[in-house]
Amino acid sequence: MSEKAILSGNEAVARGAWEAGATFGSGYPGTPSSEILPALTALGDCYTEWAPNEKCALESAAGASLAGARCLVTMKHVGLNVAADPFFTLSYVGVNGGLVLLDADDPAMHSSQNEQDNRHFARAAKVPVLEPSDSQEAKDFTRLAFEISEQFDTPVMVRTLTRVAHSEGLVELGERTVPTRECGPVRDARKYVMIPAYARARRVFMQERTAKLTAFAEETEINRIEPGSPDIGIITSSVAYQYAREAAPEASFLKLGMTWPLPPGKIRQFAGSVKKLYVVEELDPYLRDQVLALGLAVEELPESLQIGELSPERVAAGLRGGDVAPASNDLPPRPPVLCAGCPHRGVFITLRKLKAFVTGDIGCYTLGTLAPLSALDTCLCMGAGIGEAHGIEMACGEKGKTVAVIGDSTFVHSGITGLVNIAYNGGSSVVVILDNGTTAMTGGQEHPGTGVTLSGRPGRLLDIPGICRAAGIPNVVTVDPRNLEQVESTLKQALESPEAWVIVARCPCILKARPDAFPRVIDEDKCIRCQVCVRIGCPAISTEATDDPRKPQPRIDPVLCTGCNLCAQVCPVSAIGEMEGGACEV
Amino acid sequence: MTTNILLSGVGGQGIITASRVLAEAAMLSGFHVKKSEIHGMSQRGGSVESHVRFSPDGLVFSPTIPFGEVDVLMGFELLEALRAIPNTKPDALVLVEDRVIVPSSVTCGPFEYPADVLDQLYASGRNVRVVDAFKIACSLGEPRAANIVLLGAASSSLVIDAQAWEGAIRRAVKAKALDVNLKAFEAGVAAGRSG
Repeated sequence: MSEKAILSGNEAVARGAWEAGATFGSGYPGTPSSEILPALTALGDCYTEWAPNEKCALESAAGASLAGARCLVTMKHVGLNVAADPFFTLSYVGVNGGLVLLDADDPAMHSSQNEQDNRHFARAAKVPVLEPSDSQEAKDFTRLAFEISEQFDTPVMVRTLTRVAHSEGLVELGERTVPTRECGPVRDARKYVMIPAYARARRVFMQERTAKLTAFAEETEINRIEPGSPDIGIITSSVAYQYAREAAPEASFLKLGMTWPLPPGKIRQFAGSVKKLYVVEELDPYLRDQVLALGLAVEELPESLQIGELSPERVAAGLRGGDVAPASNDLPPRPPVLCAGCPHRGVFITLRKLKAFVTGDIGCYTLGTLAPLSALDTCLCMGAGIGEAHGIEMACGEKGKTVAVIGDSTFVHSGITGLVNIAYNGGSSVVVILDNGTTAMTGGQEHPGTGVTLSGRPGRLLDIPGICRAAGIPNVVTVDPRNLEQVESTLKQALESPEAWVIVARCPCILKARPDAFPRVIDEDKCIRCQVCVRIGCPAISTEATDDPRKPQPRIDPVLCTGCNLCAQVCPVSAIGEMEGGACEV
Repeated sequence: MTTNILLSGVGGQGIITASRVLAEAAMLSGFHVKKSEIHGMSQRGGSVESHVRFSPDGLVFSPTIPFGEVDVLMGFELLEALRAIPNTKPDALVLVEDRVIVPSSVTCGPFEYPADVLDQLYASGRNVRVVDAFKIACSLGEPRAANIVLLGAASSSLVIDAQAWEGAIRRAVKAKALDVNLKAFEAGVAAGRSG
């Protein structure tokens, strides 16, 4: 019997690439895809790296593929927006060594700024898509994707969803087989140089390729009919298949593992074998529209099923023509918050105090927008905060002087070009780089600004203040965000200045380097219950009711407190001090 | 028959690790198993759920538990246990840690933390048992091992082999934390029996 392991969908994708003999992996962390490259690195025998952004990752993989390597590139759905430029033309160029792009979509936006169905992207770029429905298929399909890639001279997208990426299941492990292909760049301008004359020829090739891929889709076992009752037939893919199997075990299924191009013959055959035909899929009616275009009659499902994640009960309700109302109760919600001891909190407290207009960005510091910090006014996409600050200022002049906040990893990803734009065009925005020395939100990945590579080797450390100076920003200073006085005086100076500023607020992520400090404790005799410490939004500080409903007694949870001392700095009566001993003494 | 276990609590309490141990132990006992974690964008402080499903006969399809089908609820925090109660079967076993972590919507918002969470849990009609996992973990000198104490308390209600639990803990925790976690599990087993 072969060895089995419990793997997440992400670990299984890494295993599939490893078994397929991939020797190059690149990507940028983005939930829910972030764990794939670390897992591939841990398996060994494959060179892996974090790229500054998804475009860089895909372009490097294009080169590695040209040289003959099998390559895996990983990103989340919005990452493909960044990599869209090389993606569309790479479909023309094709591959030498197999190239698989793992795209992870996030229905219900567990940690994303939009809900985006990237099957449309693949279809528009004419790149085949495989959709695994669990961990076993995540491994098998990734492996198969490399074969399809080389057989049909095309990049292949493997599309997962949050529930596939982050759920775990049993996987049968296989051996690694490395294709014997010599490594070295291949000179073939007609294939690799997409000037219009050569691209036109490749466009014809792509049409022929699509026809061949369609024939493959008709015969591949990953598009399979599972016969059941002829009364109800369900066409489905990805995790929606699992929900539908649970919701309607008696039904007949056409389970599509490859969702572009589709197999029209198989779809027609299946539709002809059932009385009522449904299409169950997560996010957009992507499959449904193509089935309708074949002239087949499809039962309508409520449009509300196109929003958010599905579940067995939502699919069951959908087949009955309804949807399940989201659970509601009057319990207090528990929204996400900046961690206790998060160094970004010091910057947000000060920005709120100064009433600055703040253009935000993508990272855990986006949480600075929630009460009680309420110190972030925009969030669009990676790197956009710097561009927005510049635009506001250029449109409104002095009245538009704005503070952009951006994390260190995001700054490298796509903030640098925005900063160059400010310097070049004579803007005077204030950019605060919240430098906690990691890519915190996705789980703490390394990046050029940490000076450590994905495999843990020392890399060239990006000098963040240096690159800002080199871009032409006249004022670049570094502050400690836990020192509120320093943060405030620097921000004030920058906001009053007619020049552009970069303030690097540098302090390690609390999850990366927990300081050796005792928890804080409130001296309740001195405390005037003014609630100022409560309004820094630290999850370690809660309140207990007193006789006066407006003045509950603040308390600090000694287990959650990291001793960052921000609450002591804002306390007007010095009622907060150090607890001797530690968390278990209470 | 699929057994459905829901672990519910607050980011940072070790819910993902506990569910990992549970899923591994089920696999080592020969079951087909699926697990799914549901959490928002922050690593600490938000609601976290983990669904574990295992079956001795046949495949588990959905990685999440259908609504109302939870057999065992492990609540790592009182409010989060109460939030998860509608997901459970009427005769579900509910193991809850008597610990309050106040959400920001209460500290800085208009909401009130319900004063009678335990009463509401008992009133649900489920088989509710309180486990002092946090206090037990503190007595072992490692408050972060409360997750494994609660898992130990749940273990006596699950058809998983004793060796499988130990093997799963060995796989899931770091070497230097192994000893205290094995002790935490044993203490949890004892607490589950006496509770």
